[in-house]
Amino acid sequence: MSGIGGTILHLQRLSTEDGPGIRTTVFLKGCPLRCAWCHNPESIARYPQVHWIQNRCIGCNTCLEACPRGGLRRGETGLIIDRAVCQGCGSCAEACPAGALEVLGRAVQADDLVEELLKDRAYYEKSGGGVTLSGGEPTLQPEFSAEVFRLLRGAGISTALDTCGLCGQATLADLLPRCDLVLYDLKLLDSRQHRQFTGADNQRILENLTWLCGQLAREGGARLWIRTPLIPRATFLEENIRGISAWLADHTLGQVERWELCAFNNLCRDKYARLDMDWEFAADGLMRADELAQAGEWAAQGGFDRARTFVTGAARME
Amino acid sequence: MCAPTLEKPKYAIKEPRNLSPRIQWLRDYYFQGVKRKWNNEFTSWTTGTPWDFQFNEASFYIVPETYAFLTTFTSSFRQTAYPVALHPDFWRWSLPERRAWFVREVMVHYLPKEILPGDLLAGARFNILASCCLTEKEAAEYNRLVHGKDGCRAAMLWLHNHGYGNAGATSGHLVPDYARVIEKGWKDIYAELEALYAELTEDEKKSARGGQLRAMMTAATMPRDLAAEYSRLCASLAETESDPARKAELEQMAANLTRVPWEPAETFWEAVQSLWLTHMLVMSDEGYPGPGDSFGRVDQYLYPAWQRSIAAGMDPEFGKEILKCFWVHANTAYDAMIRTGGNQGITAGYGQLITLSGMGAGGKDLTNDLTYAILDVIDEMSPILEPKPNVRLHRGSPEALLDRVVEMIANSQGAPFLLNFDERSIAGMLLQARKAGVEDLIRPDNVHEYAPVGCLENTMVGNDRSGTVDNNLNLLKAVELALTGGYDLIPYTDPMTGITEKAVRHGPDTGSAESLTTWDQFWEAYAAQTRYIIGKMVEVYETSEAVRARFNPTPYLSCLVRGCAQKGLDVTAGGAELSFTTLEAVTYATTVDSLLAVKYLVYDRKVCSLPELVQALRDNWVGHEKLQALALNKAPKYGRDDDEADALAYRVMELWTEETWKHKTRSTNRQFRPGMLSWNYWIAYSDILPASPDGRPKGKFLSNALCPSNGADINGPTANVNSVGKALGGKGEPGDWQDYRNLLPNGGSHTITFNPSILRGAEHRDRFKAFLRGYIENGGTALQVNMLDAEMLRDAQHHPENYRHLLVRVTGYNAYFTTIGKELQDEIIARESHQMR
Repeated sequence: MSGIGGTILHLQRLSTEDGPGIRTTVFLKGCPLRCAWCHNPESIARYPQVHWIQNRCIGCNTCLEACPRGGLRRGETGLIIDRAVCQGCGSCAEACPAGALEVLGRAVQADDLVEELLKDRAYYEKSGGGVTLSGGEPTLQPEFSAEVFRLLRGAGISTALDTCGLCGQATLADLLPRCDLVLYDLKLLDSRQHRQFTGADNQRILENLTWLCGQLAREGGARLWIRTPLIPRATFLEENIRGISAWLADHTLGQVERWELCAFNNLCRDKYARLDMDWEFAADGLMRADELAQAGEWAAQGGFDRARTFVTGAARME
Repeated sequence: MCAPTLEKPKYAIKEPRNLSPRIQWLRDYYFQGVKRKWNNEFTSWTTGTPWDFQFNEASFYIVPETYAFLTTFTSSFRQTAYPVALHPDFWRWSLPERRAWFVREVMVHYLPKEILPGDLLAGARFNILASCCLTEKEAAEYNRLVHGKDGCRAAMLWLHNHGYGNAGATSGHLVPDYARVIEKGWKDIYAELEALYAELTEDEKKSARGGQLRAMMTAATMPRDLAAEYSRLCASLAETESDPARKAELEQMAANLTRVPWEPAETFWEAVQSLWLTHMLVMSDEGYPGPGDSFGRVDQYLYPAWQRSIAAGMDPEFGKEILKCFWVHANTAYDAMIRTGGNQGITAGYGQLITLSGMGAGGKDLTNDLTYAILDVIDEMSPILEPKPNVRLHRGSPEALLDRVVEMIANSQGAPFLLNFDERSIAGMLLQARKAGVEDLIRPDNVHEYAPVGCLENTMVGNDRSGTVDNNLNLLKAVELALTGGYDLIPYTDPMTGITEKAVRHGPDTGSAESLTTWDQFWEAYAAQTRYIIGKMVEVYETSEAVRARFNPTPYLSCLVRGCAQKGLDVTAGGAELSFTTLEAVTYATTVDSLLAVKYLVYDRKVCSLPELVQALRDNWVGHEKLQALALNKAPKYGRDDDEADALAYRVMELWTEETWKHKTRSTNRQFRPGMLSWNYWIAYSDILPASPDGRPKGKFLSNALCPSNGADINGPTANVNSVGKALGGKGEPGDWQDYRNLLPNGGSHTITFNPSILRGAEHRDRFKAFLRGYIENGGTALQVNMLDAEMLRDAQHHPENYRHLLVRVTGYNAYFTTIGKELQDEIIARESHQMR
């Protein structure tokens, strides 16, 4: 028995976007950044949150009784969750017969989680895939993440860490030998802009990446992929993309196997609404194909190896 | 027969390509349907007696849509029948002899023979309904047994109306011994019959056995005599042909037909000609076009001739051209009732299945050049319905084959073929060998020769009739009877008379709902009712099986099934070496989920009592919406890789399959064996079976074959696949093949729908290949891959409850389609329909 617990959002099986092969991605709860464009806003808070899915609701009002704090009421447009009162205890979700109320975030034990993850072993093995810890931010739950990696490695499963890089170096040093791939986010090169859009400057992130590359250059080990989200008015700027490209060319000691520029999408609008959060990109559509091509051009001009640069995601259809 | 696929979207349909003018013309002509001047519509033929009839209705007992027309079909074919001048000795012969002679007479001397423009294969018209050739006395007896008060039609209707399912002795659904005809010719079959007949004593010659062998000898000369007619036709067409290239083709066809199918086939052209003529006559003999008359492993038994012809200089493209003509011919089966339903006639999928690739002895892969050539033909001809291809995959399948398979899937809405999985399938066939005591016929060293028929039903080839669509049982009926202690939940009302039946206990008295106070008691009640419904179906099936064995011999087909000649017994009378009938269970996931819901609601959570649940079902959940929501959303479900739920799924599977093995037909000694096909019954019976404890109201679709209930597989495709594998028995020592176990020798139908984005780009295609390799390890016997289309997304907007599992995945973001707003859904739909192109 390993008694190390963590809080996760959910498992994404047959994940094809978070590293090589067929993977299960574990979304952990809690993130130190507050990226203005965040696509998974339900992963930001460390604590469980409740949301209401309107089209599943049968209007039985069982939940109103179930809430021990009286935090639910029915308004003109539907169920209203009083966020000031809600502590995410989940009584309403437990009582809801229709699955319209859900608790985002659940506590799991590392060994129970790994047992679940091993169910797709055949697919990992046939595809060169494995398990990716993502989030949220796995380094915010370092012991849990380390234990999950340890158990997976022990079972012969390939592991990947998807991180924003904002963590103590010791945490990274602890997790690095336990994973076969690091997916490392580099969103904005300019530290002031980084603070503006994510709530934190990027000094530690760049330092950690530099350290990571040095470590990999000396001792080998994990593969390293860099990921940059392409966000209108924020990261999708010539200066930023060229800048990251140049920085990667200069500082990563040839350790970056792949740099992915991930196109913005707006599909998370409703998630914000369900969590009663505003989102400044709600009105933005998908990017155009020529914009994505432009991003690729900027990336190439910055000096990073074109052959290792990939623009991923969907473009708007005209 | 094949599961019907939902109507294809009106846009982005895959187009055929690389067709020569000849094939383009033939294909276009075929799709003109009713407007065609030539067609292969049924013609009906009579002995001229007033009691004569042609239509064998029991063959349609498994097609509920036809029940209202059985009498109409019988009388209209009778009225339109052409008389055939009978042989003077005709009425002195045994029934099989009369029938063999009559079918041959019609095919060789009466039915018009034509060669379509440019066609490279002879054998155009074959859809006939020949006289049943009964004497007046025989006909009277037949009528009593079929239409009498206790006749098989009444028994079948009772079974259907009460929601048990349907049963009837059905044609086709086997792989005849085509390989032997190609390799050795019909003369080899004839010589064997002659030798066997010569060994009979004079008394035996006068017996039914002698009559059967004489009938089969007559039948065995039919392909020879018909080929001679076609040879003459080709020669005369060649004489008047002005185009020298076409003239040469016709001359070659005439030459081919002087040899095959009587002689062994030398060239590839001869082999395909031999195969077609031999095959089409099976459909003539049975009087039903291609109901699962399947070809088996064509890329194996046609391969020697392919190699010889390639070595002799045949352009592989010409070989494909011959195959494409074969494709067109196979589709003309649909002409049988062309005027009754638009261009495609009858609604059923005919399922003339071809099998490609797969393992050979010792697990060695048998993919060859011809496999790839046939895949090209499929790709270039599709979309087209027949023949239905099935590609066999296994651990040793080469990368190149998987690449081609995935490429073909990527370029169409759904896979243009079914995938069959050898290890799991073979484990089931070896289980069958043990259960039925036929270890001498199905062995570890020959089991790889198996092939699916119809849609995906695994059988051995050339010696096996397993009646793979004969019995279709709604497992859910046992849940209903367990809830009521043996009564119908809602008494049956006859829609014609409006009369409602009195409440009669049909099933065993397993106790009232009040009396079942523990889950174990409920399970025992369910088990007892399961034993009852299986026994009931076996009893009803027997009625039509016995009639067919007496009155509907198929001596021509019997020549192509090993065992019939040796036993001197028609294939309809149990002559095949491997003589089985398959009980195909329907509503599996609905049944498992209903049991899980009963356990959860009544016994574990005690949300309601069992009588309260019964009342909710009687009320079709109206007024019980909260309980229904709990059943739908909170009770565990099969298909989520939830070990506890899947353990119950396995328990259900074990119960009904074990019970099935206990039965044999009385009249023909055919062993019952289990399978899960479920054709379209999961739709057809949704209006007959009442509301079920899983939350389903009456009228909502039941579950399809082995698939989880609609929308239940919320953990995605890998979890879905793992559940299916576990339900079949999973893996473990001792397995029946390596560590594989499989309780369904027939196999089970499994469909998964993917978003096309899973196949965009090389990396994603590699992942999909790996998914298929994972399926080999963890999954079932057969898989139909569908690519999600915009039409389906629109359906998801209207019926989100069916699509809760549908994941929209774009880099770094994921969400269930049905949880996002309408506007965004529209955006995704617009994008998906573009991606399809």
